[in-house]
Amino acid sequence: MIEKEDPVISEEEAAQYDRQIRLWGLDAQKRLRGSRVLLAGVGGLGAELAKNLILAGIKGLTLLDHEQVSEESCRAQFLVPVSAQGQNRAQASLERAQNLNPMVEVHANPDRVEDKPDDFFLQFDVVCLTGCSRDLMVRVDQLCSQHNIKVFCGDVYGYYGYMFCNLGQEHHYVE
Amino acid sequence: MVQLVGSLLKELADSLSSCKVLVVGAGGIGCELLKNLVLTGFKNIDVIDLDTIDVSNLNRQFLFQKKHVGKSKAQVAKESALQFCPSANITAYHDSIMNPDYNVEFFRQFMLVMNALDNRAARNHVNRMCLAADIPLVESGTAGYLGQVTVIKKGMTECYECQPKPAQKTFPGCTIRNTPSEPIHCIVWAKYLFNQLFGEEDADQEVSPDTADPEAAWNPEETAARATASEKDGDIRRVSTKEWARSTGYDPIKLFNKLFKDDIMYLLTMDKLWKKRKAPTPLDWQQLENSGHPQGESPTTSGLKDQQVLDVWGYCQLFQHSVESLRSQLQEKGEGAELVWDKDDPPAMDFVTAAANLRMNIFSMNMKSRFDVKSMAGNIIPAIATTNAVIAGLIVLEGLKILSGELESCRTIFLNKCPNLRKKLLVPCILDKPSLNCYVCASKPEVTVKVNVQKTTVLSLQDKILKERFGMVAPDVQIEDGKGTILISSEEGETEANNNKFLSDFGIRNGSRLQADDFLQDYTLLVNVLHTEELERDVEFEVVGEAPDKAPPPQSNQEEVNSITNGNKDSAQPSTSSKAAAEDDDIMIVDSDEEGGAPSSSAAVTTSTKRKHPDPETSETSTKRPRTDQSAAAAATDDDDDDIIALD
Repeated sequence: MIEKEDPVISEEEAAQYDRQIRLWGLDAQKRLRGSRVLLAGVGGLGAELAKNLILAGIKGLTLLDHEQVSEESCRAQFLVPVSAQGQNRAQASLERAQNLNPMVEVHANPDRVEDKPDDFFLQFDVVCLTGCSRDLMVRVDQLCSQHNIKVFCGDVYGYYGYMFCNLGQEHHYVE
Repeated sequence: MVQLVGSLLKELADSLSSCKVLVVGAGGIGCELLKNLVLTGFKNIDVIDLDTIDVSNLNRQFLFQKKHVGKSKAQVAKESALQFCPSANITAYHDSIMNPDYNVEFFRQFMLVMNALDNRAARNHVNRMCLAADIPLVESGTAGYLGQVTVIKKGMTECYECQPKPAQKTFPGCTIRNTPSEPIHCIVWAKYLFNQLFGEEDADQEVSPDTADPEAAWNPEETAARATASEKDGDIRRVSTKEWARSTGYDPIKLFNKLFKDDIMYLLTMDKLWKKRKAPTPLDWQQLENSGHPQGESPTTSGLKDQQVLDVWGYCQLFQHSVESLRSQLQEKGEGAELVWDKDDPPAMDFVTAAANLRMNIFSMNMKSRFDVKSMAGNIIPAIATTNAVIAGLIVLEGLKILSGELESCRTIFLNKCPNLRKKLLVPCILDKPSLNCYVCASKPEVTVKVNVQKTTVLSLQDKILKERFGMVAPDVQIEDGKGTILISSEEGETEANNNKFLSDFGIRNGSRLQADDFLQDYTLLVNVLHTEELERDVEFEVVGEAPDKAPPPQSNQEEVNSITNGNKDSAQPSTSSKAAAEDDDIMIVDSDEEGGAPSSSAAVTTSTKRKHPDPETSETSTKRPRTDQSAAAAATDDDDDDIIALD
């Protein structure tokens, strides 16, 4: 469970997050504000995830993607500028992602998720894997559950898609 | 060999790039929808929204950034969308969809219309325009975690108005003026007070003690006597609240003592009211100022500043400061100026917070924080990005079915907060056929309305009945008296002289028929008039065949409960426009215009009828329930027990 760190919500945050604070409460908003999330894969699904997490007001989001921007990338998601072909997809998405909410620390990392050592994952509270291989998902899932880090996996295939999450043996939630 | 373009059949992909679609609204759902349409390959999109961007939109309307606050939503949405799809042909209109420029011919340009609205009046209107133009309409709405999408196609499905929707909740005048028992009554009173002092004075928004309250009289004759007495004050010239305030120079302390001391003391003389109720206790400014109050700043709690509840003196000071600010605003605007209440205008919000709380205190209710008052006064609906994202996705999927000519596969889909017993969060239902006696889409729509023809004015007929209740924008009315006498003309000024006359003055009586037309909506409604002298207090008319408004349970967070108006004004306007109201992310199941209160908006008042059995093959159901905003979602969760027909 994310602890609340800083108890004080600024006026700017109160104004911007007003409508969601009225839904899930101030306490939940503070916990969001203290959480760091890793997002592997910034394709269409990843971009939606990034948008939703950033708008929610988490502390930090790391976009991890080794792929290059192709012509198709621009049609698949809305964070990558049409002029960014050939660039790394995470880095190309960074600016627009950051602009969604300057209060969130957004980072871009161009490495392969498979190449990341265990301790890379351990700096996060939540790990989201999109479009990843089964082997990778198994590895990350096992690693993270040992450290009480929540794992969400998902992918889309045309009209179909799936999401899987491992929230541990016991977890608390707000609704 | 099937040709595909991505996941789409080639014919569909081609039709997407050539057809023209209309998105009505560029807010929570609108931003997500615009993004989806553009990425799906739609090339020609018109988007219309009358509103401007507010900072509270930024948690979900992702096409907008802080630097855009104050600008047109439609315009900025278009610009942002073009950033990731420069080849899209988007036309933005910063305008109301109810503007007569957007006539049937305008609508006929489109193959598909998608609503992303937040108020019922606009939905009714677009519904009618799409029926008139025979264009398929995808309707949707969200509130908190809940959402809903449905498809409306003339002749094939129900229209938006086939099922009666519960009217906005209103409170009787005497409750507001004499015997409030809940915080919401005090908040409504405070908003009325704002208008009486600073805004447009409205005879339906009186704040002074109601001497004609039937509860106050010991016998019926007394009520009648009091009623006449209050109308004829002998030689005393009746002074309006505003005039009186002006005469005191809007002196906050004089205002305070009149409203919170003198008027309360007057109420106390109406002793019958307090026989079974706790009597109010008047406040005195001087006494409060003199009595010791705890030191200024309370220790910093971890809540928002707005979530603190002050003590009585704190609200006295808030009252004083807000009156002074509002007074200045009036002065700046000059002679004959009127302010419009806006929850995002700090002194206006402060004023209502203070006045409501002082009144709550007088009537022995626990006072509420500015945060909570704002929710109720501003009809705030809590909102997040993800619900809108899901709904916008569903809208496009339904749209693709329509464009593929697969209307039979279209569904109403409910997004629930918790999975049902089949572990589904999304519940599709078969679309219902049009209602044969729908007062909008039936072949010759007709209604019967009970009024007192001697007491109802032509203006009331126009504004309260035809516009507010029956959703007309610019009605033309003739009497079916063999002469076709014109009662109301939509042309400005033509029938103004009739406004204050009573219906009976035109020979309208029990059994009379009126033909009401709205040419813009291509809509004709036949109104059968029944004369009655027995309407409930504060009720001006009754539509025959409808269940009367039931009072919702006090804990409910519905818009109906918290709506302040005696009409539709609040919910018809967006939050950031100069007209008050609130932004509401309307679900068809819930009409919301910014509203809420406690976190979680899952309370529901349902007027539910039995649900049909689900189709065992497809586990889809056809619902026959009247679409009260929250009822459908609630029913989807609550009534899901019916779904477990152990068929699996």
